[in-house]
Amino acid sequence: MKKKLLTLALLLVLVLAGCVKTKSEVESEGKEEDGKGGLNEKVQIEVLGMGSGEEDLNIVRDQLIKNGFDVKLNIQPDYGSFSAQKDAGNFDLALSSWTTVTGNPDYAVRALFKSDGANSLVKDSKVDELIDKASTETADEYIKTYKQLEQQLVTEKAFIAPLYNSFKAQGVNKEVLNPDTVRLAKSRAIPWETIDFKDEAKRTTEPLVTQQAIGDLTSLDPIKGNDGSINTLNTNMYVRLVNLTDEDEVVSDGSLSYNYAMAEGNSDYYFLLRDDINFASISNEKAIDTGERVGAEDVVFSLERAKDKDSVPDHRTYSLHERIKSAEIVTDLTELKNAKQSGSEKTILETLEKGLDTKLSGVVESKTKADNSKGNYQVVKVTTTEPFPQVLNYLAHQSAGIVSEKQVKSINTYDVASFNLDKDIAYGDQRTVTEGATYNNHLYASGPYILVKKNDYQADFVKNPGYRTGSEFEPKISNITVRFIDDSDSALSALRNGEIHLFNGVPETKYDLVEADDNLLLQKSDSNAVTYLQFNTAGRKVSESENLRKAVLFSINQDEFLNYYQGNKKKAYSTVSPLVDTGNELVADSDKVKEFLEAYQKE
Amino acid sequence: MKDSSNNRHALVISKDYPQANFTWILSLALAAIFLWNSLATKSGEMNLFVFALFCAYTLTSIFQLFITRKMKKDLLNTGEIHKTTRRLGYVQLASLLTGNIFAAAFAFNLINKRKTPEYTFAVYMLLTQLAVIAISSVNLFKPYVSDTFLIAMGSLLLIALFHLVALILTVHYVKEYSAPRWMSILAVVLMATAVTGNLFATLLGWSLFMKSRRFDSSRLLKWNVMWEKITRNSTAVLGMFFILLMLTISITSRFTFDYALAVENNYSAILQAPSLVYPFGTDNFGRDVFSRIVFGARISLLVGFASTILPGLIGGFLGAIAGYYSNRIDNWIMRLLDILYSIPGILLAIAIIAAFGANTVNLIIALSVGGIPTHARTMRANVLMVSNYDFVDSAKALGASDFSILFKQVVPNSLAPMIVKSTLTIGGAVIATSSLSYLGLGVEPHIPEWGNILKVGSTYLESNSYLAIFPGLAIILLVLSFNFLGDGLRDALDPKLD
Repeated sequence: MKKKLLTLALLLVLVLAGCVKTKSEVESEGKEEDGKGGLNEKVQIEVLGMGSGEEDLNIVRDQLIKNGFDVKLNIQPDYGSFSAQKDAGNFDLALSSWTTVTGNPDYAVRALFKSDGANSLVKDSKVDELIDKASTETADEYIKTYKQLEQQLVTEKAFIAPLYNSFKAQGVNKEVLNPDTVRLAKSRAIPWETIDFKDEAKRTTEPLVTQQAIGDLTSLDPIKGNDGSINTLNTNMYVRLVNLTDEDEVVSDGSLSYNYAMAEGNSDYYFLLRDDINFASISNEKAIDTGERVGAEDVVFSLERAKDKDSVPDHRTYSLHERIKSAEIVTDLTELKNAKQSGSEKTILETLEKGLDTKLSGVVESKTKADNSKGNYQVVKVTTTEPFPQVLNYLAHQSAGIVSEKQVKSINTYDVASFNLDKDIAYGDQRTVTEGATYNNHLYASGPYILVKKNDYQADFVKNPGYRTGSEFEPKISNITVRFIDDSDSALSALRNGEIHLFNGVPETKYDLVEADDNLLLQKSDSNAVTYLQFNTAGRKVSESENLRKAVLFSINQDEFLNYYQGNKKKAYSTVSPLVDTGNELVADSDKVKEFLEAYQKE
Repeated sequence: MKDSSNNRHALVISKDYPQANFTWILSLALAAIFLWNSLATKSGEMNLFVFALFCAYTLTSIFQLFITRKMKKDLLNTGEIHKTTRRLGYVQLASLLTGNIFAAAFAFNLINKRKTPEYTFAVYMLLTQLAVIAISSVNLFKPYVSDTFLIAMGSLLLIALFHLVALILTVHYVKEYSAPRWMSILAVVLMATAVTGNLFATLLGWSLFMKSRRFDSSRLLKWNVMWEKITRNSTAVLGMFFILLMLTISITSRFTFDYALAVENNYSAILQAPSLVYPFGTDNFGRDVFSRIVFGARISLLVGFASTILPGLIGGFLGAIAGYYSNRIDNWIMRLLDILYSIPGILLAIAIIAAFGANTVNLIIALSVGGIPTHARTMRANVLMVSNYDFVDSAKALGASDFSILFKQVVPNSLAPMIVKSTLTIGGAVIATSSLSYLGLGVEPHIPEWGNILKVGSTYLESNSYLAIFPGLAIILLVLSFNFLGDGLRDALDPKLD
């Protein structure tokens, strides 16, 4: 019995041994002799990231390990601790992302890669030169320059290793909202005034409920913030000279201007202002029309303070506007008649008048005298320090929102140099709109909506009663509630159970859930968000050795990222990729990795 | 009349009858789960493999019900279970082929009328070995197996065969208080096979060794009574079985599983539903969830044991000192520990991890610190009680030093409640480990750990629910097993329950 069993077991083992393949057999089938003896010691790479980028970090880790590196992950729970680690230099590679909210390539590179850029770790004279050169060029000319810039940044010097370009996805409750009225733009924040309910009778009775992740608002003064906490809010509270379309073209639709024109030489820009927008303010939690018109004086005031670093304490956006030399009110109609439009034989006046019912009979200095129906208009002229066509994109950015000169001056009475956050209240301070003892809403909104109050959970907005009444841009829905929901999965649940009507930022792996839901519509569009790995440029092995950086660069396989995100990402080569089609592509190459690693070992 | 009431009593005190009931109910419940799974597929088609399992389990439970009825009749008529009924156990052994451990364990129990602890050890030793082989052989469906797979599997098979032989020998030769002398050799070899982690072999080996070497009969009696109490509790034994199975798997997986499948991303196999190649499916990075859970058992057990033993030693030492020496020392130690006790354990762990970084050693330390006060309290209470006993006074009268009295007389006699407490806290430690990983504070995210796997699963709860179900089940089963075993140990070790 015992012997029989033993022989049986042995037989079984033999049979099994015949039909299974072991790992080394499978691996040796694929390759010939593997030259693994070359590297005596694995190079350790420390990758820094946030908990929210855990998936990307894992893919990077996997790719680096498969290419013979040793990887140490440094995962920080939030942005604060991530920046602290980054500032301390505790990384070789930092997982970073960038969204070009202005829709122009200059913004995508200036702050990030220029030697004196606010967020730049790169110091390279050729990079600086190319960035400056491209900024003065028009859209057709700069493709070549940006291509060169990308090659210098990535292939030549390997300052960054690009990962992917994301899509934007927005879930809309189509049972409540009319999805045709909900826009999804590539760069700009969503405009609320066009959104309408499916049942138009609900416009005044029901609020539109939308969502954003951050509830701690940086500032409601447009120039004092440029981040996810206020971009959408300030975009809808302050009107601008121009706007971006969903495809990032600069237009006057939905802005303070009828038309705009760029004069010959690409340094002078003219804007013809409307007279049908008034500032709104809040009284007893209701929006009232202040009767004060949004005029050229406010535009000049807003742009002057936007470009002036010292106009407010903690100015966060002056670098966007530093190319503006001056903004002034045009008082002489002959200037418009004489000046020519850039690249055309038309005069500025002709361009500005296009499509107007009442042509210009005069330009006035004071906004109280402007009356468009009688032909009296206000025109603003913006001059740049050098030819800089992309200034229009910056003027479409929320930081170029128009504030009331009278109101801001009456609130900001403090001395900028000795500003004390605990004592002085600046215009747009979130404490003045937070429920409780500090509540004292002093906002003057030039845009379609105005913030009434906020708490930790939501912010309530009402429509501006003096905003383009009777036109197609008059806000449709009277009340808007913005819920602060931090976690995207929770926000998705809120959308699906009807708690919110609109959710911008559906995670890539959850598209099918939204698509499968009968009540929801998934809107998808391109975006300017690029995720990339930033190399440490000081004090690390990767900072010293170009070869090591390149070895890391060629380990990155973007196809695997696309696979992981189920095709819901696009390849990118740099932060410029979504804006300019340069044709560059990063191809993973393990042979090159070996080559560069060997070169590094010899250094 | 008197006879029938006697028989009714026999039915009530019978150990086999409740287990028989427990077995058919559990088998039927499993069958129902399989039926639901075979029908509720997304494509609407029936899953034939799962349906076959449903049929097998239904058959098993029907047959089990039949046996149960027969047992009841036997017990009511004659007061004991007939030989023919016991023979049916051999048939029920076939349920082992379908992986029905409960039915198989019952069958083994039924076959043998006179159950020594050695018999139970031998049965569960064999079951553990077979279960490990079954789990490891799932790897045969993979495109390739690890290099050491064949050798490891061969050894496991041989050991299983040896265990079977040991079982048969145990049935034939081992008596209540003695065993043949030659069995001590068998015992030593058995203990050697426990390197696979199958500690049932150690227990059996030690037990046989004691009996074959004719150890002191009072010691044997104590050993027998204790293990009889534990093995009488079938849930406790099942708990112990699962814990030791996990232990064995986590040791043998080193040779039978390929670690790369658990950690390396495979983008061509992302989010695959469970199949033969990937029994528990694959996760969002294309990693095999089955391998991940198997490797995850290692960390869960390691952290669970270590973060119980460490505070057990430290807390036990402090508690013993506090309980034995003067009021002043007692007050100092216990008040300081009270301060520690007032900080919520999991918060303390989070703070430690946040400060010193996330890795296994820090995880163990973080979870251990919070457990010290409770262990100290338990030990102190026992020492206070035991130090008043006569034998302690005798030792004092004989002039033994305080230190030697404390650690030679008092502490060994205070250990039983500590063991029970530790067993029950391991479950908590396993949950705490997983919770911390789930919160992103445990081990690195790519390392297979049950909390990590569950975290990935939680985001796919709706679309790929299996990603959360299997690690969740693993955690539940392990914690439940520790709790059942702890209950069994308490029943066996607590003198008050005698």
